[in-house]
Amino acid sequence: MTVYRVEGLRIAAGGRAIVDGVGFDIGAGECVALVGASGSGKSQSCLAPFGLSPLRAGGSARLMGDELIGAPEAMLRRARGRRVGFVFQQPLTALTPHLKVGRQLHEAWRQAGAPRPSRADLAALLERVGLDRADERLDQYPHRLSGGQRQRVMIAAAIAHPPALLVADEPTTALDAELRHAVLEMLSGLRADGLALLLVSHDLPAVARHADRLVVLEEGRVAEAGEAAALFAHPQAATTAALIAASPRLADPPPALPPPGPPLLAAEGVTVSFPRPGWRRARIVAVSDASLHVAAGEGLAIVGGSGSGKSTLARAIARLGPVDAGRVTWEGLPLPDRAKMRPAHRRLIQPVFQDPVASLDPQWRVVDIIAEPLRHLHPHLSAGERHARVTAALDEVELDDAFADRRPATLSGGQAQRVAIARALVTGPRLLLLDEATSALDVLVAGRIVALIARLQQTRGLALLFVTHDLAVARRLCHRIAVLEAGRIVEEGPIKAVIAAPAHPATRRMVAASD
Amino acid sequence: MRRLPALLIALILLAALLLPPMLPWRYDMIDWAAVRAPPLSPGHLLGTDSVGRDLLARALVGTRVTLAAAGWIGGRVDEAMMRVVDALYALPFMFVVILLMVLFGRSILLVFLGIGAVEWLTMARVVRGQVLGLRERPFVIAAEAAGAPGRTIVIRHLLPNLAGVAIAYLLLTIPQVVMIESFLSFLGLGVQEPLTSLGILVKEGADDMDVAPYALLLPGGLLVTILVCLTILGERLRDRFAA
Amino acid sequence: MIALLLRRLLTAIPTLAAVVILSFVLMRLAPGGPFDGERALDPATRAALTHAYGLDLPLWHQVLRYLARLAQGDFGPSLVYRDFTVTDLIASGLPVSLTLGGLALLLALAIGLVAGVAAATRAGGRADRGLMIALTLLTALPTFVTGPLLVLLFALALGWLPVSGWGGGDPAHLLLPVVALALPAAGAIGKLVRAGLATALAQDHVRTARARGLSPVRVLLVHALRPALVPVASYLGPAAAGMLTGAVVIETVFALPGLGRHFVQGALNRDYPLVLGVVTLYAGLIVLFNLAADLLYGWLDPRMRG
Repeated sequence: MTVYRVEGLRIAAGGRAIVDGVGFDIGAGECVALVGASGSGKSQSCLAPFGLSPLRAGGSARLMGDELIGAPEAMLRRARGRRVGFVFQQPLTALTPHLKVGRQLHEAWRQAGAPRPSRADLAALLERVGLDRADERLDQYPHRLSGGQRQRVMIAAAIAHPPALLVADEPTTALDAELRHAVLEMLSGLRADGLALLLVSHDLPAVARHADRLVVLEEGRVAEAGEAAALFAHPQAATTAALIAASPRLADPPPALPPPGPPLLAAEGVTVSFPRPGWRRARIVAVSDASLHVAAGEGLAIVGGSGSGKSTLARAIARLGPVDAGRVTWEGLPLPDRAKMRPAHRRLIQPVFQDPVASLDPQWRVVDIIAEPLRHLHPHLSAGERHARVTAALDEVELDDAFADRRPATLSGGQAQRVAIARALVTGPRLLLLDEATSALDVLVAGRIVALIARLQQTRGLALLFVTHDLAVARRLCHRIAVLEAGRIVEEGPIKAVIAAPAHPATRRMVAASD
Repeated sequence: MRRLPALLIALILLAALLLPPMLPWRYDMIDWAAVRAPPLSPGHLLGTDSVGRDLLARALVGTRVTLAAAGWIGGRVDEAMMRVVDALYALPFMFVVILLMVLFGRSILLVFLGIGAVEWLTMARVVRGQVLGLRERPFVIAAEAAGAPGRTIVIRHLLPNLAGVAIAYLLLTIPQVVMIESFLSFLGLGVQEPLTSLGILVKEGADDMDVAPYALLLPGGLLVTILVCLTILGERLRDRFAA
Repeated sequence: MIALLLRRLLTAIPTLAAVVILSFVLMRLAPGGPFDGERALDPATRAALTHAYGLDLPLWHQVLRYLARLAQGDFGPSLVYRDFTVTDLIASGLPVSLTLGGLALLLALAIGLVAGVAAATRAGGRADRGLMIALTLLTALPTFVTGPLLVLLFALALGWLPVSGWGGGDPAHLLLPVVALALPAAGAIGKLVRAGLATALAQDHVRTARARGLSPVRVLLVHALRPALVPVASYLGPAAAGMLTGAVVIETVFALPGLGRHFVQGALNRDYPLVLGVVTLYAGLIVLFNLAADLLYGWLDPRMRG
C-alpha cells in the first residue's frame, strides 16, 4: 500500500526553481532516502509539502491519497498532528527547553486525538526508542539529556500518535559516529509495524544500508534513483559517485601515507580544567594527564565523542588555549607558556578551525587575512615578498588571485576554509592543527578539503594534529591515533592496528559504528 | 517617511543654533507689556511665560542646553572600570546624581558629570558583553596563532568589530541623556535660572498649565519630538549592526 | 534554591553597605549642614545638637555607628522633622510609593505583554509596524511631560479625575499617576517581548512544535513565549529603578505623600539620616528585584538553573 506519493514536485525561491520535477513513493514499512549535497533541495522536498517551509510547493504530494499541495493550513496541521511525524537535525535545540520530556510527549500524544495517556504509556514510548530509565526521564528537562538521548526523545514524540509516515531530516548529522549508527538502526527498526520512513541525508553510504530505495538529488532534480544496494554498488551519476567518495568507510582500502621522520613534538601530563558555569564555584576537568607525541611528517588523529576534551587538548598543546599542568617539547626543547610564545615558536604550529566563516575577521580582506601571520612572524619581509607569498599560498589552496580583495562574508564555507588553510600555510609551519576542520562543511566540500590536506601532507611533509570524531576520515590522513574519553587518552597506537583490533570499549564502539 | 526623524532633528538643531540671535527678544529678557501672552501675539510668535519672557527664545535656548548635554557626554567610556559595572548597575544611581546636585550646588558641569556617571554604566555593559563574545571567536585565536600581540588583537580585530555596535548604542544613549538632563531640571536640580533647558520649561509650563496650557505643550512637544526622533534613529542603526 | 537565595542575599550586603557609605561620605563632603536654617542657632545649642546626633565624631566612626544601627533596622532620628524618626517617615511614605510603583509595574507588564504578543502575531504587517512605533513613542515619553499632560487633559480640560493628592488611596486619585508612571516601562517591555518572540519563533524547537501539528496560538503561548520573556526578566531590575526614579517626579507633579518627596525634601534640608534611609531602602528594593529576576530566569529557562 502506498503511504506517500510525490509527483513532479516544484519549489521556487526568489523566482528560481530550487526543486524541479522530484517524484518518489513510499509504501507501508518501506524506507526511501533522499540523498544529496547541500543546496540539492532535499530538505525542502520533504518539508515544503507539509507547510513547514516558508516556500510554496507545486506539483503533487499525496499522503494516504489526500493531496497536500494547495491544501489549507488547517488540513496540513491535522496531517502533521496525526498522520506524519518529523525528526530534525539539531537534537540540542529542537526540543522546547522549558517543558519536561513527559509534557512534550503528552502533547504529541494528545495532538493525534488519542485518549489521555498514562505515565506508563509515555514511559513505554521512551523504552521503544531505546532510552534507559524511561520513567525518570519523563520528569527531566531536555538539557539534562545528551544529544543522542534528546534525538531519541524527539523520535518518541514523532511516533507517539502513531503516524503512517515518519520524515527524518538529517536525523544523525549532528551526532557522533557511534550514535549515528545506533539511531539509524532504531529508526529502521520502527518499520516493523508498517511505518513508512522518509530519510533525508548527505551521507549516502550510511543510509544506503537502511533504505530500500535511494533518490539522489542534484540542484533540485533527480540525478538517479533506484534500489539502494544496487545504486550504492554501481553508481551511474557523477554526483552519486562523488557522494559515496566523500563519506569514506573503514571498509575501503587504506591509503598510502608518506613515511614519518624524526620526533617533532611531545606532550606529557597535559591537564586542563575550566571553572564550572553557574553559581557553584567548582572546576570541571576537561583533560587529565594526557601524553602524546608526533614525528615530522606524521599524522596523529585525536579522536573522541563530543565533550571528550579532544579540542581542548589540541589547543593546550598548540598554546592556543588554557592549560593547568604538563610539559610540551618541540624537538627536545620546551615550548613556552601561551603568553610567552615567541614568533619563532608560533611559526612552527598553525591552526585551522571548525567554523570557517567565524575564523576569518569579517572586517578584513582575504589578502590581509593571509598576510597577517607574515607581518608578525616574518617581520623582515618586504611588502613585495609578502605579496608574492600570499599569492603563492592562495594558489596552493586552489583559489585564484581574484579572491585576494574579497571579504569573508562573500565566501562560501569551502572557500573560507581554503583561505584559513592558506593563512596557516603561509608561514611555512611544520605542524598543522586541524580542529574538526572539515566537520562543519557540506559533504562534497569536506571531501575536497580532505583531498587538499592529503596533497599538502605529501608535498610539504607536514605533520598533522587532526582532531575529529570521524574514524574513516582520520584514517585517510593519519598514521597513528589517540582515542579520548572523558578527558583521558584511553588508547593510542598505529591507526591500522587500532582499527583492526580495538582494545578499549570506547574504541570498539567507535569502530563498530563506522563500518 | 523614513527620513522624517533625521530631518526633524536637523531642523530643530539648526533652529536652536541659528534663530535665537535673530529674534527680537533674548531668552532672559522680560517684556513687561506682555506677561502670559498667548501664541501668535505681536512680537511673540509662541507667546510668553508667567513673567513675560519670550517662549520661542526660551524654547530654542533650552533645546541648545539640552542637546549640548548629549554632545558633551558622547563616548566617555572607561573600559578599565568595567569590572565594577555589574555590581554598580543594581544601584539607584539617579539618586546619587540628585544628591550631587543638591549638595554641591547646581552647576551645569556637575549636571553633565552626573549624567556621565549614570550613562557610562549602560555603555560599559554593552561593550563588555560584545568584547567577551568576540574574544571567544576563532578569528581572534587565529590572530594569536599568527603571532599578533594582545595590543594588536585589540586594536585591529576587536575594536573594528565593536565600533558599529558601540556607535549605535552611543546614539541610543543620547535620548537617555536628554531625558535625564530634563528630569533633573524639572526637579529644579539642573541648570540654574535664568539659563534654561527644556526640563525647566516643562516644569514652568506644568505649574502654569491651568491658565496657559501652551506653555506646557510647546516645550513638552519639542522635547518629545527630539526624544522620539533620536530613539528611532539609534534603534535603526543598532538593528543594522546587530544583524 | 534556598541556598541560592541566601547566597544572593549575602552578596547583596556589601553592595548595600557600599551605597550607604558612598552616600554618607558624599553628604558629609558637601558644604552646609542640617542646622543652617532660616534663623541662626546660638553656638551652644548648635554644639549640643551636633554632639547629640554624633556629628562631631570622626567620619569613619559615624559611618560605622550608622551601619551598626542599620543592621538592627533603626534608620535613626530625622534631623529636620525633630518629632519623627526616619523609620516613622518611611513607614508613612513607603505604602504610597509601593502602591504607586507596584500598580504601575503591573500595568506596564500587562500593556507590554499584550502589545508585544499582538505585534509578534502580526509580524511584518501594518499592525506590527504601527504597534512598534507606538511603543517607541511610549519609551521616549518622559514621565514629567506625560504627567502634566494627562492632568491637563483628564483633570483640567475634561474634569473627569482629580488634579492631584493622595485621597487616602482612592482609585480615582491613583489612576493618572499610575498611568503616567507605567507608560515608559510599558513601551520598553512591549518592545522586549516583541523582539524576544521574533527570536524565539525562529528557533528549532518552534519548528518541532509546528511539525507536531499544534495550532499557531498554542505554539506561540506554550512554546515560544517563555523563552521570549528572558529579556523582560533582565529588565526588571532597571524597570524597578526607573519606577523609583519616576516616582520622584510623579509624586511631585501629583503632590503625593510618598518616599520620593521625602528624598528630595530631605536632600534639600540636609536631613542626612532621612536621605540615607531612603537611598538604602531603594537600593535594597532594587537588589530584591534583581534577585526576583534571577529566580525568574530559572523558571523561564531551566537551562539557567545550572
